[in-house]
Amino acid sequence: MSRLVVTFCALALFATPAGADEAFVTNQGSDDLTIIDATTMTPLATLPIGGKPAGVAVSADGARAYVTSPEGKFLSVIDAAARRVLKKIPVGDGPLGVAVSPDGRRVYVADTYGKRLFEIDPETGATRSLAVGAMCSGVAVAPDGKTALVADRDDNALSVIDLAAFARVAVIPVGRHPYGVTIDAAGTRAYTANVESNDVSVVDLDARKMIASAPVGNHPYTSALAQGRLFVTNQYEGSVSVLDAATLKPLGKIRVGDYPETIAASRDGATLYVANWFSNELWSIDAASLTVRAKAPTGDGPRAFGAFLRPVN
Amino acid sequence: MRRAACFAVAMIAVAAALAPPASRGHGATPQKVVETIDIAAPPAKVWAVVGDFQNFGWLPGVAKTEGDGGNAPEQARRRTTFTSGAIIEDRLVQYDAGAMSLRYLIEKIDFKVMPINNFSATITVRPGAGGAIVEWKSRFYRAFPGGNPPDDYTDEKAVAAVTAMCRSGLAAMKAQIEAAP
Repeated sequence: MSRLVVTFCALALFATPAGADEAFVTNQGSDDLTIIDATTMTPLATLPIGGKPAGVAVSADGARAYVTSPEGKFLSVIDAAARRVLKKIPVGDGPLGVAVSPDGRRVYVADTYGKRLFEIDPETGATRSLAVGAMCSGVAVAPDGKTALVADRDDNALSVIDLAAFARVAVIPVGRHPYGVTIDAAGTRAYTANVESNDVSVVDLDARKMIASAPVGNHPYTSALAQGRLFVTNQYEGSVSVLDAATLKPLGKIRVGDYPETIAASRDGATLYVANWFSNELWSIDAASLTVRAKAPTGDGPRAFGAFLRPVN
Repeated sequence: MRRAACFAVAMIAVAAALAPPASRGHGATPQKVVETIDIAAPPAKVWAVVGDFQNFGWLPGVAKTEGDGGNAPEQARRRTTFTSGAIIEDRLVQYDAGAMSLRYLIEKIDFKVMPINNFSATITVRPGAGGAIVEWKSRFYRAFPGGNPPDDYTDEKAVAAVTAMCRSGLAAMKAQIEAAP
């Protein structure tokens, strides 16, 4: 026991060269946002949001967090350092998935009921939108900022959006009911977690087609990449499937809390964070040993749907 | 008994309401209901009832349960017909006799039974001070797949319907088990 504690303290001391990153966890049931120190796994603050917040995306520089409220039909713009809501921008009928451009100047929001992707200038509040598919859910922007992907859940497809032209340029069939979408660091491959077909689809972004799929657990929801591995939350079995990201060979399963939703990887790829919706906890997992490191309490019904980790430099 | 009657009334009220569009969609906010009850009986005796997936007869209002696959996860299915004629079709997802816990989901539901979609639930039996504790916890969405649900298809109505079902079901299960020799 004491050796465990010493090991944990050593990790805590040496694993944080860039300062303590933070997790911005949306709690849909309690209508708020919990900010958690991702190193110590200690809650730091709770911000009231309203409108049943679900999606969240933190800008690459860590300055802003954007939170969608599908019932309130608005996007909250948050000063992440000051932990303050700056403004609320109305967005469509049911804003859900959200992503930020790499330069932080544009925010993309999937309107799940309106079947549209909104592009928002968070400074001016100006918006424009284009048609995507039914019950669009997850959104991801490629690292070069040129392409966005939208998981069109009830169409069993990914929409490919050319962001410069702001046009839907392709629709790629994937597994049944894709929810979360993840793009790799090279911007060449995308992964969808498919809720109804219990698998992940791998998409080649240059060829714009699905090139592989692999079975995971029951009711997969979102995925994250770290250390060449793909981690997928399985909502109906309280687990995370681990696969080799290149070969899709299964490497193991990690038991997590009840109804895990969003998973995200730390910048150094050493740690994964999982929001457990039913048990109201954020868990951290060691990406190499596949063991649970720590648990932090959240509000009720954490979704954290999106890039919820905030870099602190 | 009073709770069972309430559930029946709720079912009739919902049946009379406007049906949502024929779509597989649902609301944007998953809902939680957790209901528990103490039963004065050994946990194994309670699990003998809870753990028989093919018999949903302890739920008030059920006329018959038909199905196949026994208690085999991902194979077992059951079709429950209510005295109103409404039908629910369930699939068993997980079954752990050692932990006295099972998880199932609703594959098909008449909205006149409950105005919900994407329902999954775990029922667990644990030892308690007075015998056993049964916990029935569920996740689901309102059936209406849009931002402005009609009055009978709100999140609140969905939660009320599931809560009524769980309470009436657990109360009836308690009465049945405690009355059995």
